Amino acid sequence: MNDIKLGQYVHGNSLIHSLDPRTKIICCTFIVIGILSSHNFWYLLAFLGLILVAIKYSGTPLSSIWRSMRGIRYLLLITFLFQAVLTQGEAVFQVGALSVTREGVVIGLINLLRLVILFLGSILLLMTTTPMKLSAGLEFLLLPLNKIKIPVQYFTTIISIAFRFIPTLVEESLSIKDAQRSRGARFDSPKILSNLKSYLAILIPLLASSMLRAEDLAEAMDSRCYGGNPNQYRMRTLKYDRVDIYLIIFMAIVLLAGLLI
Amino acid sequence: MSKIIDIKDLSYIYLPGTAYQQQALNNINISLNQGELLGLFGGNGSGKSTLAKLLNGLIYPTTGRVTVCGIDTSIKALRNDLWKKVGLVFQYPEQQIFESNVYDEVAYGLRNLDLSESEVKSRVYEALKRVGLIPNSMVNLSPVKLSGGVRRRIAIAGILALEPEILVMDEPMAGLDPLGQKLMLDIIKARQENKTQTTIIISHNLKDILALADKIAILEKGYLVFYGEVPELLNHIDILSKFRLELPDYLQVAYALNARGIKTNSEINNLHEAGLELIRIISSQKGKF
Amino acid sequence: MDGIQLIDVSKEFKTADSYKVALSSINFTIHEGEYIGILGLNQSGKSTLARLLNGLLKPTRGRVLINGMDTDSPQQLKEIRQLLGIVFPNPDNQLICPIVEEEIAFGPENLGLSPSEVHKRVSWALEIVGMQEMRNHAPHLLSGGQKQKVALASVLAMEPSYLVLDEPTSMLDPLSRREVLEHLRMINQENHMTIILISHNPEDLMDAKRLIVLNEGSIYMQGTPKEVYGDMGKLGAVGLNPPGLYQLIQQLEEEGYRIDDNFETIPQLVEKICQK
Repeated sequence: MNDIKLGQYVHGNSLIHSLDPRTKIICCTFIVIGILSSHNFWYLLAFLGLILVAIKYSGTPLSSIWRSMRGIRYLLLITFLFQAVLTQGEAVFQVGALSVTREGVVIGLINLLRLVILFLGSILLLMTTTPMKLSAGLEFLLLPLNKIKIPVQYFTTIISIAFRFIPTLVEESLSIKDAQRSRGARFDSPKILSNLKSYLAILIPLLASSMLRAEDLAEAMDSRCYGGNPNQYRMRTLKYDRVDIYLIIFMAIVLLAGLLI
Repeated sequence: MSKIIDIKDLSYIYLPGTAYQQQALNNINISLNQGELLGLFGGNGSGKSTLAKLLNGLIYPTTGRVTVCGIDTSIKALRNDLWKKVGLVFQYPEQQIFESNVYDEVAYGLRNLDLSESEVKSRVYEALKRVGLIPNSMVNLSPVKLSGGVRRRIAIAGILALEPEILVMDEPMAGLDPLGQKLMLDIIKARQENKTQTTIIISHNLKDILALADKIAILEKGYLVFYGEVPELLNHIDILSKFRLELPDYLQVAYALNARGIKTNSEINNLHEAGLELIRIISSQKGKF
Repeated sequence: MDGIQLIDVSKEFKTADSYKVALSSINFTIHEGEYIGILGLNQSGKSTLARLLNGLLKPTRGRVLINGMDTDSPQQLKEIRQLLGIVFPNPDNQLICPIVEEEIAFGPENLGLSPSEVHKRVSWALEIVGMQEMRNHAPHLLSGGQKQKVALASVLAMEPSYLVLDEPTSMLDPLSRREVLEHLRMINQENHMTIILISHNPEDLMDAKRLIVLNEGSIYMQGTPKEVYGDMGKLGAVGLNPPGLYQLIQQLEEEGYRIDDNFETIPQLVEKICQK
């Protein structure tokens, strides 16, 4: 609670913050395609450098990014180790029955880099874009899918309702937890079964109230004529600048370079 | 009479040292004797719900001391057992119901006390009676199907069954219709008749509190602006004028007369007496003509 | 034809083994511009009534007509809901969007209005409830009273002719309650919107020009507040008490003092008496 949560929006005035959310989403898509289609270690390393520059430029403290990286350090380690051990090839050294191969180390490093880039890219997107801008951008970009009968606006409504209610549910779960603690519920008991029961005593009321909320919410939406319209009002805030165009062109070139190498 | 609650120089700060830091309570001093009913009045963000949590050890003072039933709540080892002595009924307590039948719901806290099942049973039945429900017809029902008012009484029974020395209720009347409010008043008054049980009612509604309390504490933005017995409050014109329209009807009459400098003949204790006083004033004015 | 008409309306709900009658044979007409109070305890059928008015529920028997349109016909439902907006009791469960201004834009957007018109209405509605400064706030950071004002604004922004409020104040503190009631009075007087205020609290309904008292699914009393609240015995029989002001007025009138003026609060009454 005292710390900035992973991927939570942090207010700022950098160029990255002021970019149109669509630009950021498109660039992130380019990044994903770029790093997944390239096997060139140096290209990926350059890509990592590019992202680090962007992070620095966004004013997001590197220390907080570094701390959040620690959260996935085991995932990174396991990925690397598995690749290093399970890939066939020229053995570098042997640990019991397992042999670490040269090819394995290279593939492991490449995949490690890919994961790190994906992670940093998405964190940068989330930390510099408000949830509302993000969902407006997504809705705009996905709207053409309506033509092939995919109801995009329903998904974005769901996302929007989630943003609205997650804080409310967190608050409610804390207050139910307090209420059950006042009836002697323990969450640190040595008996696992009694802890489980305590958590059920939070979960069940939370579910019950969520169902009630859902009913109420459906009535409120019906009463205000909800019919699955795209959220034009939210999307009206979207505006392309010259910088946005430049950035997309630049990223397209970077992507193309990756595909050609 | 013995002091059952002693709050000394209490301050509480939310999330100290972070950007969200907020002083919720400032230098509060309250002491309460056994058997008294304290009405704790305050608006949004006054800190009244924070105070409730401090009383049963869910949180503990940033500075100052809270002593409840002789237990200093800042001592961690003792704090964990405080729930047995201080029963806390949260706002909208019906939302915390989770068992599949009324019996188990009321028994939940009792079972955490490790009582024998026969003792649990007798306490569950007793508690249901005390909230005005008929135990035999209730215990096997599923709480989900009951009305909000009945569910609230079941939740309260779950706390009363613990036989706490101090009962703290946060907005017990909120959302109830006049009939439900009357039933709730009856539950509280029945408890008040027992002179050894201490009760604290927290509310944003001065009317509810004045109808019940021996002592009143008024919190505003974390500061205690009044603490004392009910008759004392009636002498504090500055506070009364602030909450003029939130006073019970008969006090609105008394206060309005007072403000006009008109001496009332007798003490006004209810609306009917207030009416009689008005009639006396009108007839005395006619005498002038 | 303008107005709301209920013709012999009954509503029954199917329960596990029987039918529960929520409303039986309700008849009344509400004209545009009126301020109506509907008083009743829980289970009196008042929330069912609110949901019948905009077609969230369909009557089991009888007809509900809004400006002549039957709530039973699906084609006219959207038009009916544009004409008749509802504010619900729980402020937390009727706010849909993560930002206040989007919340208020939600209804107008569904009506297919242009972004500039939506923008205009959002500003207008926020101003009426005095919440302009909260425009870019997240609803979960607001107090209960502020949330309910946002809920009110979000219905106002659809510019309905009829505004139905189902227990809008039962979860609010006294100060917010008075503020909401004050807004309703202004909306009725200055914007000429019809107000149908449903409550279990007789004091909430003192601004209404006409009261309908529901008891166990039927209309129990009807009349001006003075008529209804003047009959303490009849109200008391169903567990309702008139507001203190009316109890005082009745007590004075029984002693032969006629109170002709319209008072809104007890201090006003006392003031007047002292001036005589």
